[in-house]
Amino acid sequence: MTAFRRLDTGGRIDRGKTVRASYNGRALTGFAGDTLASALLAANHILIGRSFKYHRPRGLLSAGIEEPNGLFTIGAGARREPNIPATMVDLVDGLEARSQNAWPSPELDLMAVNSLAAPLFQSGFYYKTFMGPTRGAWMYYEPLIRRAAGLGAAVAAPDPDRYETRYEFCDVLVVGSGPAGLAAALTAGRSGARVVLAEQDNALGGSLLAGTSAENEAWRSKIVAEIEGLDGVKLRLRTVVQGIYDHNLAVLAESRDQLKPGPAKGQARMVLVLLRFKTIIYATGAIERPMVFSNNDRPGVMLASALSTYANRFAVAPEERAVIVTNNDGAYDTAIDLARLGVAVTVADRRPTVLAELFARTAAHGIAIFPATGVAEVEGGRAVSRVRLAGAHAVTVECDALGMSGGWSPALHLTSHGGIKPRFEEKIAAFVPGGFAAGHFGAGAVLGTFGLAAAIAEGAKAGAKAAAAAGFGKTRPVLAPEHISDRPYAIMALWTPSEGGRGKVFVDFQNDVTAKDVKIAHEEGYESVEHLKRYTTLGMGTDQGKTSNVNALALMAGHRDLAPTEAGTTTFRPPYAPLTMGAIAGRSIGHHFRPKRLSPLHDWHLANGATFIEAGPWLRAWYYAWAGASPETAYVKEMELVRKGVGLADVSTLGKIDIQGKDAAEFLNRVYVNGFAKLPVGKVRYGVMLNDDGVVFDDGTTARISETQYYMTTTTAQAGEVMSWLEYLLQCHWTGLDVHVASLTDEWAGMAVSGQKSREALQLAFPDADLSDGALPHMGCRDIAHEGVTVRLLRMSFSGELAYEVHVGAGYAQALWEHILKRAAPLGIRPYGLEALASLRIEKGHVAGLELDHRNTLDDLGLGKMASKDKPYVGKALRFRPALQAPDRWSLVGIELLEPEKKLRGGAILFAATDEIKGHGRGYITSVTWSTELGKFIALGLYQGGLTHEGEEIVCAYPLKDELTRARIVSPHFIDREGARLHA
Amino acid sequence: MLDRRSALASATTNHSKVLKLEEAPDFSLTQVAGEETAIAAIAGALPEKVGQAVAREERTIFCIGPRQFWFVGPAGDDIGAKLDGSAAVTPLSNGRTRILIAGAPARDVLAKGLALDFHPSAFGPGTFALAGLHHTPVLIHCIADDAFHLYAMRTFAMSVWDWLRDAAQEFT
Repeated sequence: MTAFRRLDTGGRIDRGKTVRASYNGRALTGFAGDTLASALLAANHILIGRSFKYHRPRGLLSAGIEEPNGLFTIGAGARREPNIPATMVDLVDGLEARSQNAWPSPELDLMAVNSLAAPLFQSGFYYKTFMGPTRGAWMYYEPLIRRAAGLGAAVAAPDPDRYETRYEFCDVLVVGSGPAGLAAALTAGRSGARVVLAEQDNALGGSLLAGTSAENEAWRSKIVAEIEGLDGVKLRLRTVVQGIYDHNLAVLAESRDQLKPGPAKGQARMVLVLLRFKTIIYATGAIERPMVFSNNDRPGVMLASALSTYANRFAVAPEERAVIVTNNDGAYDTAIDLARLGVAVTVADRRPTVLAELFARTAAHGIAIFPATGVAEVEGGRAVSRVRLAGAHAVTVECDALGMSGGWSPALHLTSHGGIKPRFEEKIAAFVPGGFAAGHFGAGAVLGTFGLAAAIAEGAKAGAKAAAAAGFGKTRPVLAPEHISDRPYAIMALWTPSEGGRGKVFVDFQNDVTAKDVKIAHEEGYESVEHLKRYTTLGMGTDQGKTSNVNALALMAGHRDLAPTEAGTTTFRPPYAPLTMGAIAGRSIGHHFRPKRLSPLHDWHLANGATFIEAGPWLRAWYYAWAGASPETAYVKEMELVRKGVGLADVSTLGKIDIQGKDAAEFLNRVYVNGFAKLPVGKVRYGVMLNDDGVVFDDGTTARISETQYYMTTTTAQAGEVMSWLEYLLQCHWTGLDVHVASLTDEWAGMAVSGQKSREALQLAFPDADLSDGALPHMGCRDIAHEGVTVRLLRMSFSGELAYEVHVGAGYAQALWEHILKRAAPLGIRPYGLEALASLRIEKGHVAGLELDHRNTLDDLGLGKMASKDKPYVGKALRFRPALQAPDRWSLVGIELLEPEKKLRGGAILFAATDEIKGHGRGYITSVTWSTELGKFIALGLYQGGLTHEGEEIVCAYPLKDELTRARIVSPHFIDREGARLHA
Repeated sequence: MLDRRSALASATTNHSKVLKLEEAPDFSLTQVAGEETAIAAIAGALPEKVGQAVAREERTIFCIGPRQFWFVGPAGDDIGAKLDGSAAVTPLSNGRTRILIAGAPARDVLAKGLALDFHPSAFGPGTFALAGLHHTPVLIHCIADDAFHLYAMRTFAMSVWDWLRDAAQEFT
């Protein structure tokens, strides 16, 4: 029966510090330095989970990031996180771990019944079985299948933990702190370069941490101490380099879970580092491959290197007996490691001959070595109990653990993110990086260099090269310790299972893909490695096939009679390891998701009963409590205020642009369709701009402040676009014009004083200013001084009433706003919000953002007559394309409701009275309001043929509410067509 | 004189023993664009290229674009009036909110949101950069070893302040 024990001595654990965690609700104790995986193994939890599809019993396969089986849900409540490999979790006090995909427990899992139906679940099973007979079938089956097969469940509650983003820069990024990485980082660091050393483990050393040599450990400690003493080297432990992107950007995920479950206020649980490096050294090591044989997934069957790691680093070893099966020299180290701890070890080597030196050295430890022998079958129900060997020594061996080594695959994932495909290296029977971009280097096992001394030498060389490439000339390379001499590494590529097994032969443990599934995929034509992946799910899931890909690709290559290099690999993409969504979101959550733009009058609105509405990035005052509790009631009262008296509205959100220079007049004349060359100082003009394709871009007003200075306003929505457009024209097309533009949107606040009593109101506010029609006529502007501050008065109207805009430096906006409200109080002045502002303009027939949607022409909007016939302007040529002049284009109309008990709705589709109600209709409603003046719903819209249909009855269809409403086409100017009010 | 109100008038104060995070008001900002020679004749030597700044007496001149400069001086600085007629002068003192970030963690706080190398060797006193913070354009200026002035757009100042306070939360 499989069993492990904690050794009394050795390992990198602190036996003086007991750690208390929990596993499936029961106490789990370990020592500081343990991972969750080592603590589970030490406590003899061998069977720790159930497999994805078949619910087969599973145990730990590895001791590293590649772990496919030992996935747990960590934490409780909203903090719960599924699918975490136990091998990557530091054991800390209070840690809560639960097994997954097993009910009620991994030991007694009722879904294991799936295993009996196993023939159903082979590759392509879902597609073949559940896709028919109707298209809806998959929809029906999918949730049932997902319940039976799968991993941990995500939490629906908001994640209470904090995640942060951080930008960093360095000269040399070293990924991995094994022997090669340490040598690289220190060599680069000695040059004075800024180095970041990223290590996914909780300690520096990589494979050295799992070694037994005291000399090696002395070397590691010395190098680590020197690295830690260098100011220019930044260590990042528990940090996974998740992706390498163009322009030397690396994304690192640093986990801080080891601090304690649930970090303190302001402390991030994980930090996503966006690191820009000048050069990079990949020292990412290699990952051991399993071997492919019958029941190779039984708990207790592990990677040989994992047995070494658990024994040497965590002091957890098999109770009495172990079998090692291998096709290469590397696993003999594990055999010797275990034999030294008193474990009886048998090595089955699939190769016909074993090097004499290796044989003798291994046998000296009392280890039995069976060449030309593989595993026929693993026996034992819930865990390995015996191994039946096949080949030259076809005996059955009892054991507590089976270590397997199918060779080593370089962890080349990151080297391939930039698009460089790996190549197959026969010598090590594995893929290696296909090359490196300039400034990118590799060192050690990732290149297939498995010897310690050679890896250190390569690391030092790469460190020196990288530092030099980053501009740091001189360094002193790190040397390998003298006692090391690398032995040759040999492997024989033997991909197919030994004969004689009856059980399942797994290739991909996490996705329950067997050798037979690969064969079926081949037989059914899914031969390419990418098809194989999709058809069988091989290499998917949280481990992304780190242990399975090469074996599977080699099997497929065998079926196709190709060399592995011709079959190729699937594409490696970021992230390298699973990354919690929280880390990607960082602090871009809740109200930090995006900034809010606030008017300088925001605080006043807030304190005075405004309800706000989002308008792009802006928060705008929508309506005020004085007028009503709901927008529907309030805006009507606010409209009445303006139509009958005087109101005050915040228009600070309008785009405002300072235009200066001796060619400013010429510039505006080219930008606007209407003439601006002759606009006198002290006057304002409404203007429309086109895109260069002849479609309306934006409208607004521009006031002439002096011969060489103008003050432009744009719509709120297009402010940024207009500013960019003007800069673009000046910098790219009209470089000869002496014009400078600057945004004043944040500098100036604006307020509209509107209504027939607006002049009286302003006169009360500014008693010394002459505001008579003669002194400040319609479309006039003037700067006045008020209490030492410049106030810009612009007489213009959006509402159709006599109106002014009062602009002032943003810092003074609230004081001036309060001053106007106070002085004009006898006139009943009150604030009005965006809803009323937008409704008043509909009555007046002014177009706004809803009509200026970058699809309409001047003529569509009834503005064609504004355009100058004499001068050139942007968009003039293309404006006259036949399609833009077609008489049946949808153009601006007014619409009035004919059924008083109903409503008009924005977006309603318009049909002629006799049309069948079907399809896209003849137009649509853009803007709707209740007209206080007319006592009915009115709207603006676009209608085929436009005002040629004036007076005709139409139908407004609103399919969302299944409504058909009768209405009539009218002029869009619902009030005061002559403009008498404006000129009052 | 009308009361002048800060965009951060209603902002929550930040409390920290190791980090100073507060508004730095009372400055004058004037954007000047035009021919360098004409400007230099009145204002003195200008920074030579975009991204450079010169500090003279109480005033710092930032070159923020080709032939574009920011003059930052004490409140009431009359440089705008002096340059009027020789260049395009745009007063922007209302349009930007200046925030001081000072103390040992200052660089750490800024690194959370600005994609700039804040290593002292790369961003020492006198250095400035035009950059993006929390989706808004800012100018960040290193005024002393671990002290920075951040110029944020006034209308976004509250969001930027809120962002900074959040980023500084761990430095109590």
